[in-house]
Amino acid sequence: MEVQREFREDLNGRVRLITVLVAVALVVIGSGFWFVQMVQGAHYRELAENNRLRRMTVRAPRGLILDHEGRLLVENTPSYNLLVDRSRTADLDDSLRFAADLLNRPLEELHANLAKATEQPDYQPIPVAKALNLAEVARFSAVALEHPEFEIDVGHLRLYRHGPQMAHVLGYLGEVSESDMERARAEAGEDGKVRYQLGDLIGKKGIEETYDERLRGVNGARAVVVDSRGHLIQEYGRQEADPGEPLRLTLDLRLQQAAERAMRDKVGAVIAIDPRNGAVRAMVSSPSYDPNMFARGIQSDQWRALLEDDNDPLQNRALQNAFSPGSTFKMIMAAAGLEEGVITPSSTVSCGGATVIYGNVFRCWRAGGHGAVSLERAIAQSCNVYFYHLGKALGIERIEKYSKAFGLGSPTGIELSNEIGGIVPGPEWSQRVRGHEWFPGETISVSIGQGALTVTPIQLARATAAVANGGRLVVPHLVEGQEDPSEAQVLPVDDRVLAAVREGMAAVMQPGGTAYWSAHIEGVEMAGKTGTTQVASGVAGNEASTPWKLRNHAWFTSFSPVENARLVVVVFNEHGGSGSGGAAPIAKEVYKAFYGVESEDGNRP
Amino acid sequence: MATALSLTDEPQAIRNFSGLDWALLLSALLLTGIGVVTVASATAEMPINFLPRQALWVGIGLVLMVVIAAVNYRTLVDLALPAYLGGLGLLVFVLIAGQVGGGARSWIGVGSLGGQPGEVAKLTTALLLARYLSSVNKRHLEIKHIAIAVGIVLVPMVLLALQPDLGSAAMFVPMLAGMLLVAGLRLRFLVIATLVVAAAGAGLWTFGMQDYQRERVYTFINPAADPLGAGYQVQQSKIAVGSGQLTGKGYRQGTQSQLRFLPARHTDFIFAVLAEEWGFLGVMLVLGLYAVFLINALRVALRARERAAVLLVVGTVSLVAFHVLYNTGMVVGFLPITGIPIPFLSYGGSFMLLNFMITGLVLGIDVRRYANA
Repeated sequence: MEVQREFREDLNGRVRLITVLVAVALVVIGSGFWFVQMVQGAHYRELAENNRLRRMTVRAPRGLILDHEGRLLVENTPSYNLLVDRSRTADLDDSLRFAADLLNRPLEELHANLAKATEQPDYQPIPVAKALNLAEVARFSAVALEHPEFEIDVGHLRLYRHGPQMAHVLGYLGEVSESDMERARAEAGEDGKVRYQLGDLIGKKGIEETYDERLRGVNGARAVVVDSRGHLIQEYGRQEADPGEPLRLTLDLRLQQAAERAMRDKVGAVIAIDPRNGAVRAMVSSPSYDPNMFARGIQSDQWRALLEDDNDPLQNRALQNAFSPGSTFKMIMAAAGLEEGVITPSSTVSCGGATVIYGNVFRCWRAGGHGAVSLERAIAQSCNVYFYHLGKALGIERIEKYSKAFGLGSPTGIELSNEIGGIVPGPEWSQRVRGHEWFPGETISVSIGQGALTVTPIQLARATAAVANGGRLVVPHLVEGQEDPSEAQVLPVDDRVLAAVREGMAAVMQPGGTAYWSAHIEGVEMAGKTGTTQVASGVAGNEASTPWKLRNHAWFTSFSPVENARLVVVVFNEHGGSGSGGAAPIAKEVYKAFYGVESEDGNRP
Repeated sequence: MATALSLTDEPQAIRNFSGLDWALLLSALLLTGIGVVTVASATAEMPINFLPRQALWVGIGLVLMVVIAAVNYRTLVDLALPAYLGGLGLLVFVLIAGQVGGGARSWIGVGSLGGQPGEVAKLTTALLLARYLSSVNKRHLEIKHIAIAVGIVLVPMVLLALQPDLGSAAMFVPMLAGMLLVAGLRLRFLVIATLVVAAAGAGLWTFGMQDYQRERVYTFINPAADPLGAGYQVQQSKIAVGSGQLTGKGYRQGTQSQLRFLPARHTDFIFAVLAEEWGFLGVMLVLGLYAVFLINALRVALRARERAAVLLVVGTVSLVAFHVLYNTGMVVGFLPITGIPIPFLSYGGSFMLLNFMITGLVLGIDVRRYANA
């Protein structure tokens, strides 16, 4: 190859052209640096020294929570938080000590809050104390010159208007934990956006937890220029927050508060549901706690007190606690017996106060016996002997089958976490769980709702709703618009059978029935069933003189009106004595609120 | 001439390095040293110690530089076609089996370091382009020559765009432009090419770009429109650069960089760290070193023995020049932010290796300018 034939001069001329272009471009860029560094340098130096351009999160207000009638249950109020800008203090420990003294809060708490944000850059203010009152805010403003590192930020504080009422339904908020973050990162969408950031508050229990996604909204952001004291000078740009959706609950505040009042100082649960669709109208678990404590940031001693309380206020007794249903179970026994043709509404059993089955003596609660009893009277007066014989005739397998058909033994599916399923015992269960065979005598105990059988109050409410609505097993729910009629399973029980059971339960509320004296409301048609669960054998469990811990548990399940019922109420009163004396009167208060009947003390409920 | 892998076949002058362009080599080494020091400052607060890794990358780069300088470039040009196809094979392999890194499937795991075959493809494509365009021995290129050259470049570009790594794909354009210009582009083709690029840009904008990429362009046009995203980065970069003023804040004293304002401060924004800590004087020194490197590299093209060598130098040096100009222009706020590192300064990666390979190639071409091989 010879150079001449390559048109070398043309080639080199164009290489020189490129060289000139590169040199000119370098000069242009050099002038750019001269302009930014030399001409505007002082301006940028000032910006840099005050670190004035900041990116701040605009917290989305969390969705409001309303009751069925639109009454406000949970809202947001302004909350003042103390932030510290670490780049503005020479001695961070000293600053925190000053703040802890001024707020009269433990220094460790402030340190712990700061430690959560070590990943953040120095100039980014970090919240160290939440929910300051106005007096505290004023004191920090007064020392702003000596302590430029402190800033006050206005955020949202969740306010549970009724304090401990409905706490177990509503739940509470807590800061995103490391495990929440990991879960969120794993679930990050295509766009790589992680749902939470550290420091976010998310629902930890109850509706706040289950519907967190809808309630939380999407945070926005702002780029702002601030002065050396952190005060806003200019907003450089903003991306609005998208507020959370409001949620309308199925709860009815009037019923809820009537139930809350009736359960005051008692331990147990009350559930009221609409049997037609499973909408929960009231759900009480007592004792309760104040979710506002969590919103403000719970103190360690408050938290310890909650954990160490014997009666476990954090537990939702309506669905996290299972006990033997006692005689309320006779409702399901009656339905099973009729459907299987083991009994008829008119067939009778003679009760002499006790009976001998499989060589053991099983007693009725009435020592003198009930005489010849039909189904209706057996339910109305809760005759045990009638149901001992029914249980023997049905056998444990069929009892098990019908119990499960009525929804016992598994969670109801209400939208609250940690619901338990209770136990429907049987031979297979006995082998699997206890490792020994089923004893025939146990069948007789289960027939009157004792023995290994346990149910949660919400399961009993759901089973009662199925009796009241003609055999549909609805799913209890707390948020409006969640019901799906197709979800309701249909029981393998004829409505004529259920009508006979309803008649028996109506008789409970009539003169001669177990709950007439304690729960009858003039002019209101009701049906019910009492239940008493023995806690200690050989103790007079219903006497006021018996120590509280040894007294029987009281159950009452009910619906009203008898046909086309609109409300089911279940009461469980731990160590409440008898079902008729300890539980039925509480349900009566709920029905009075439902029907708008004056309370005895003259107040409208 | 396939035996040129052996040094002993080369004339004495080459073995003595008597024709070596010391200014070119020295400017590259000085820039690398400044890069190591600046990366150490930028990453001082990071949990990982970047210094040993950076040293490893530099070490590998220097070895590659010497190896490539030692190999006769003519051998490389002779092997251009298989090399080009191998490069394409790597890109296809990455598309199928690559690890996802930074949103694009562009990484092949090589121990803990990883390499981006896109960089290899740039070099192999430059070889084939130089070979092809040098075979067109005319004063001006004809349309079919241009079309073939564009085709050679388009295949790896499309494969990279599929990853999707548009930034890397775009880097072929300055390389192609430099080579075509020098190979003999008529003025009217230049005008047509400009129009074609504009049309392709519009097409890319409409069909080929992802939302975040469009946003970056918007942000560039109007930074205040997106102060929370890329606009924030531009602003922070300008604060870092501007606050350096004449003499800088001193080594490891750059508050903006040390306080983590700057994104990607050890890679794409390393020059902002340098500008903050060393001031306008430091910027002038480093821009001066780049000027020495680029101008000397282009002078190698002027005195190279043959057309293929001229084109190879111009194409690869155009690529380096584009990176230098774009990155510094971005840091000072002239150009939209995109992931383009700066040669020799930015932390590690296969891009650093590419720069050393190009340096080796240019030096190797230079020492063989008198050889009668």
